[in-house]
Amino acid sequence: MSEKLGPVERSTLNIILMVVIGLIIVDIALRVSCCFLQGHRSLSSQVTLMGSGSTFIYPQLKHWISLFEEKNQNIVVNYNPTGSGAGQSQLIREKVVSFACSDPPLSHDTYKSVNGKILQMPVIVGAVVLVYKIPGYSGPLNLSANVIAEIYLGKIKYWDNPEIVKLNPKAKLPHIEIKAIHRSDASGTTQVFTFFLHKAAPSLWPENLVGKAINWPVDKTGRGLGAKGNQGVSEYFKTLKSAIAYVELGYALENKFSIAAIENQAGVFVKPNTTTMTAAVESALKSGLLPDSPSADWSNALQAIVYASGKNSYPIVSFSFMMVWNVYPKKKAEALKTFIEFINTIGQENVIEGYAPIPKELREINLKSVNIIRGT
Amino acid sequence: MKGDKLLYYSLFPFAAIVIATFILLFAVISYTSAPAIKEYGWKLFTSSAWSPSEMGPESSKYGLLSPLYGTLVSSIIAVILAFPVTISAVLVIEDYAPPRTRDLVGSLIEVMAGLPTIVYGLWGLEILAPLLKVHVYSPLHQLLGFIPLFSCRPFSGYNILTAGILLAIMVLPYMVAVARDSYRSIPMTYREAALAIGANRYEYAKIMMGMIKPGLIASALLGFGRAAGETVAVALVIGNVPLISSCILKPGYTISSLIANQFSMAPLYPYMMNVLFTGGLILLMIGVIANTVAVIMISKSRLR
Amino acid sequence: MDARSLKEKIFLVTIFALTALGVTPVFYVLASVIYKGIEAFTRRGIGIIVKVNGGILPAIMGSFALSILSTVIGVVLAFVAGLFVAEFPNSRISKITKVASRSLLEVPTVLLGMLVYILLVVPTGHFSLLAGAIALALVMLPYVMVHVEQALESVPQIYREAGYSIGMSRAQVLFGITVGIAKRGIASGILMGFAKAMGETAPLLFTIGAARSSLPCSIMSPGDAVPLMIFQYAQMPQEYYHDLAWAGSLVLVIVFLLVFVIVRKLIKEVKY
Repeated sequence: MSEKLGPVERSTLNIILMVVIGLIIVDIALRVSCCFLQGHRSLSSQVTLMGSGSTFIYPQLKHWISLFEEKNQNIVVNYNPTGSGAGQSQLIREKVVSFACSDPPLSHDTYKSVNGKILQMPVIVGAVVLVYKIPGYSGPLNLSANVIAEIYLGKIKYWDNPEIVKLNPKAKLPHIEIKAIHRSDASGTTQVFTFFLHKAAPSLWPENLVGKAINWPVDKTGRGLGAKGNQGVSEYFKTLKSAIAYVELGYALENKFSIAAIENQAGVFVKPNTTTMTAAVESALKSGLLPDSPSADWSNALQAIVYASGKNSYPIVSFSFMMVWNVYPKKKAEALKTFIEFINTIGQENVIEGYAPIPKELREINLKSVNIIRGT
Repeated sequence: MKGDKLLYYSLFPFAAIVIATFILLFAVISYTSAPAIKEYGWKLFTSSAWSPSEMGPESSKYGLLSPLYGTLVSSIIAVILAFPVTISAVLVIEDYAPPRTRDLVGSLIEVMAGLPTIVYGLWGLEILAPLLKVHVYSPLHQLLGFIPLFSCRPFSGYNILTAGILLAIMVLPYMVAVARDSYRSIPMTYREAALAIGANRYEYAKIMMGMIKPGLIASALLGFGRAAGETVAVALVIGNVPLISSCILKPGYTISSLIANQFSMAPLYPYMMNVLFTGGLILLMIGVIANTVAVIMISKSRLR
Repeated sequence: MDARSLKEKIFLVTIFALTALGVTPVFYVLASVIYKGIEAFTRRGIGIIVKVNGGILPAIMGSFALSILSTVIGVVLAFVAGLFVAEFPNSRISKITKVASRSLLEVPTVLLGMLVYILLVVPTGHFSLLAGAIALALVMLPYVMVHVEQALESVPQIYREAGYSIGMSRAQVLFGITVGIAKRGIASGILMGFAKAMGETAPLLFTIGAARSSLPCSIMSPGDAVPLMIFQYAQMPQEYYHDLAWAGSLVLVIVFLLVFVIVRKLIKEVKY
């Protein structure tokens, strides 16, 4: 090559060559250290699945991935907790990941824009819980949608309000102001919570107060406080002496907050746990409100599972969805099918604290995607 | 001479890459932010609404005012806090401390400069913010609550003031380095002259600081530019709520933390990507302007 | 004591107190990192450092690979561009290069991540260590360039002239003599670049994909980095992840201090 080149080109080329050699050396070093450190995996047959999305599902997914990789040594699954919106965006719009996880399903419009090419599977059940702190009282607390709505509307001011007392006849509630804490950032938790208020108390909580971020009426009374993220809400909650807040169940358990029992559609006060959360989804399934295929439009799923019928159902529950395309390169398709199969069988028997497994019927619906996904 | 040209042309492509990178950065950011500016116009800089919608530009609202406000306020706080310390540190290191102390302080400031920003972020999130809330903000609010700056009750340690304090710590070593450079450029004869007229150490310092005024302004400007561009550490402590308030004990947002939090989901929402790039363009302009003015200031101080 | 010397006393006390206040945070930060880091390692076991899933090994390996990769790309570029600027200080191109590199110094690093995401990650369809390394290389480029320029400029003209007088060409003088004399300064610049790349977070947010369930097995595969892991884990509600974040910080700080000590041995004053 050097004959036709002048000394200038040669020295430029030499420098570029140095960089390229450097990159190759690092690449080889990585491959070698991989062989050395995870020697049982042969590199050539290894398939990597990259996912991103919901931070809510992250601890559970991490647990699944470690169990999964013990059984399937030639498949590597990685997941980047960037947020539900980012997951949808990176899977659908930018196509830089192989799967995504999202707490809300695809919106109706986004669903239409992908023509059923995206498969959605609810893989885990979560709950939004009301946590409370009452000066001088540490017993259990019953709440109804009406009472919660009136607190967040600013209509109920004190703990000893007759409506709260009526639900808790045995409790000694003080005449102290309630601070109502809510999320200030756009969040799926707020969406689920406000959706529940609207569905269970439509006359008090209008539809325009449902969404990821809303204008909280209680803020105008000076008793409402907005905070960012579960962490921010918890920070405010710890600061105050008398407060109520809504957070994800796992977070309330982690911080050992007092959790209220909520009145469900059947008029029973239930506390959130695995049984009551799965029960809500089961009764939604029985009533035929959920779609029966992963390629269907799931945008109304919340409508079905929030404030569901059945005397055991916890009323404020939500799904976390796994999302995939229906066509992949062959190897990747096979690997994804194996992973989906795992999550909907063994995975559902290995659910960590703060989440609840999905019922059997739903697992079967999810497993349909194994037949829908095509490898090319 | 032939060898000269040869060397010139063989090194040239790499210098060209540096120039090209900068032009490319500027071009991509301007190109991507253009649609947002066209669609929303001035509203982008005069409103604080932030409600993205998947439907289209009509139903989504974007305003960069609050993040811009947060960026400016937190960076200004940082520079105000760091500035007196910068002057003190320069005098101590360059003139007043015994050699041992001088070396120690110098090394400590160098370590400060090099510590990864994320370490400051984690420390700010878990140690500094809770500490400030209990021991500083609550008393501050109780004692000085009548001043608008401290008029709101601090419900958490994650607010604009915390971001400003953390940024002050982070930009301090950088500001010291710039100020030290111009302090050293003062000719020996001037120093001797100051001492010869019988100035004591206070008067001497006053004269010296007067002489490097442009250098001090440059150090403040460069510190400001640094603070405005800092991303992860600020994102962890500022609270990330798009508010505009005269009270600095309330949470806020900055442009760079907005980008860090929202960039990944932007493609899902029409125009959001463009709006975020507009934010990036503002940051770029703040950085370049601060840098250019600072460079002019420094060359001014050298001319003396 | 007269008013004048009282003023001087107050002034001296004030500046020493302010300086002490200014450097206090560094002790506090280091103490917190060491205390919390050790606490994390005792609580979760020292094993998390070599654990792949649920440990910090992927992040450490990723950070290490990223630093080397970005040093290879960034340093070569910065070194050659720095040579150009120092050797031809009067050429117009070299002036523009200097302005461009100084401006790059003031560009928020998150913007470089956005640039690489748009130009590299989306077109190739996946996150990769290489994409992250390119973003980091752009971050360290101006720092290393400043060091290289300063090191070369500090070489007295006399040495070059000696080279010319025995009939060496300009290139021979540059590579044979000037670079040789300036090599300490250049080496420290490279090390500082390495440390800078190791500690940066923002350029990696949108480029490497935070793949921390497995080791990065090639430069084209997604990977993780310690700073990115700290950033994400610090925001998780669970205590476990916070422990991993502190453990990662401890590792990061130890590596940084090592580099710092080496650089300090090479040159007298460290600049950023």
